[in-house]
Amino acid sequence: MTQTARPISADTDNSSGPLAVGPDFGRPWLAEFRQAAAKTFARVGYPSATDEDWRYTPLAPLTQNHFRTIPAAGAVSRDAIAHLSLASRGFYELVFVDGYFSAALSQTTGLSGLIEFHNFQGAAGGESDRIAKYLGHELPSGINGFAALNAASFSDGVFLYIPAGVTVDKPIHILWATTRHNHPVMVYPRGLIYACSQSRAVIVQTYADLDSDHPVFTNVATEVIAGRGSHLELIKIQRQALLGLHMANEAVHVHGSATFQSLAMNLGAVLTRNNLSVHLAEPFAQATLNGLTISAGSQRVDNHTLLDHARENCPSHELYKSLLAGNAAGVFRGKILVRPDAQKTDSKQTSKAMLLSDSAVMNSQPQLEIYANDVKCTHGSTTGPLDDEQLFYLQSRGVSAQQAQALLTYAFAGDVLDRIIDPAAREFISVLVAEALSRLHIAPVEL
Amino acid sequence: MAILDVKNLHARVQNREILKGIDLTINPGEVHAIMGPNGSGKSTLASVLAGRENYEVTAGTAEFNGKDLLDLSPDERACEGLFLAFQYPVEIPGVSTSYFLKAAVNAIRKYRGEPELDAMDFLKLIKEKMKLLEMDQSFMNRSINEGFSGGEKKRNEIFQMTVLDPSLCILDETDSGLDIDALKVVSQGVNALRNKSRGILIVTHYQRLLEYIVPDFVHVLRDGKIIKSGDKSLALELEAKGYGWLETVAA
Repeated sequence: MTQTARPISADTDNSSGPLAVGPDFGRPWLAEFRQAAAKTFARVGYPSATDEDWRYTPLAPLTQNHFRTIPAAGAVSRDAIAHLSLASRGFYELVFVDGYFSAALSQTTGLSGLIEFHNFQGAAGGESDRIAKYLGHELPSGINGFAALNAASFSDGVFLYIPAGVTVDKPIHILWATTRHNHPVMVYPRGLIYACSQSRAVIVQTYADLDSDHPVFTNVATEVIAGRGSHLELIKIQRQALLGLHMANEAVHVHGSATFQSLAMNLGAVLTRNNLSVHLAEPFAQATLNGLTISAGSQRVDNHTLLDHARENCPSHELYKSLLAGNAAGVFRGKILVRPDAQKTDSKQTSKAMLLSDSAVMNSQPQLEIYANDVKCTHGSTTGPLDDEQLFYLQSRGVSAQQAQALLTYAFAGDVLDRIIDPAAREFISVLVAEALSRLHIAPVEL
Repeated sequence: MAILDVKNLHARVQNREILKGIDLTINPGEVHAIMGPNGSGKSTLASVLAGRENYEVTAGTAEFNGKDLLDLSPDERACEGLFLAFQYPVEIPGVSTSYFLKAAVNAIRKYRGEPELDAMDFLKLIKEKMKLLEMDQSFMNRSINEGFSGGEKKRNEIFQMTVLDPSLCILDETDSGLDIDALKVVSQGVNALRNKSRGILIVTHYQRLLEYIVPDFVHVLRDGKIIKSGDKSLALELEAKGYGWLETVAA
């Protein structure tokens, strides 16, 4: 049964159209959770441009009132999402249409024997209790208004529970597709991933719009817990339509000796804002955060990351790269917080942008906050056009200017692709990168 | 027909005139050396011939195998058979030497209307040349020049030169930064390229390289002009007397 979102009246002047409390699926805890989030939103409202964390992101498009929530999943055929599906590549696949789980479109054969997976709506008592226990824990609604909105309003969500010691044999793809509506809509993908100790999994989340004529505002919230000794690779593919708006709040808790790696691929949407915070909570937790943005036109992508080193002996690596053409703009703001107990922290942060036009701009800001005295933290950022000397070198060997540009552009992106651990994921993301670069009229190169 | 025929070449960089009338003819089979003090314009000449951006030719002509060289883009020059071994070979992370060299070989073959080499034929071609330059196979899988020592970079230049088989080789200060062993290997590679049809132009500050690659002609460049030409003995004379000696010659 589909339940319609019920609008509530928030008791502050910060109230606005988007605040519609979602269904509670007959679970009192969820009703409570949502009401609390709604109250939080009423209190914190949208971020303001005077807030240091938000002053670079143009908020106006995100805070407009004309987005409507989607009361029920739109009709969509398997063919209509075939181009987004990774089932044919052997991935397990969970499909959400307009924010609602579609069992018919999902491909989960073999998965249920390995892990527990549920959509929030369908979760039975015990499972629901588990969701209740973790939901909102890593990502409290109070961190910003968008996270609060998601918590109050999500129509459904995904819960993956990977039991201790289990290796998921194939990547799990969670596809969030928004169908065609004849007006601007908003969706609230919500994910909760719990990887128990010594488990291993690769999880890919794709956000895509099937409507390219009306803006879709996708407001994501993802919470991840990586248990002791687990290995988790989390890949996010943002390939919304060019009118799309994308906001994501993602929080990861990494336990001792666990290895967490992420990739944020930003391809679509006119405006993208990613907030990724990773908490290295116990000794020998490891995190590697990668990002690749390919933008053109008037696209804008802001990547904000926080690496919170709470305990000793945790290495972290971060590599964010942006290829910006046209009037595209990018922001990378990477904070590394080293708390007093985080001795022997080894953290390296790199942000690189390649500007393919004179009007593309990039703003990189590292932020180091270090309260321990025996640590190694480095950061570096470079922004610039293709290197003339490299171009000349390639040309001087007979390679045309166009091919030389393509080679250097692919090499720039390839650096990030090479770091993807899962080979099947690397392969399909390479295809996505080639498609994105061909839209920038860069000839294909197979390095 | 001369391979390279340069007449009265003037060139400037950012409004500063560096070449002030160069005349130079290289015939098939000849090895020419251009020597000169720092700032005399040696490397500028090499760059202008290879078509580097920001070097503006203000007067004069340069013919390459009968074609107007100055009219060609850098890649067209390479496809026509000109090769510049860089003084400072650039590092290109993410592009393997093997991929790049195959792209270069096939770009040149395509330009000449020859069929492109497949992976097997290409491998055969490079294996042979790698042996000559005493290079390890792993070289090919590494990104172009990334993390290479000075000697490895220069060796890579000469290796690429032997693979691309140009009709004119320009060596820009190839000896700089080389120890004696690397110098020998590099020289051996260049000498193996000497034949009746090829021209070689060596740009160098020191006579040392010319002990290993013995030139047919030596030219002395000073303040953008060739002020003296001779045979290999001129290089020895320069070594003995220094560039200061040329003040009197020029006067």
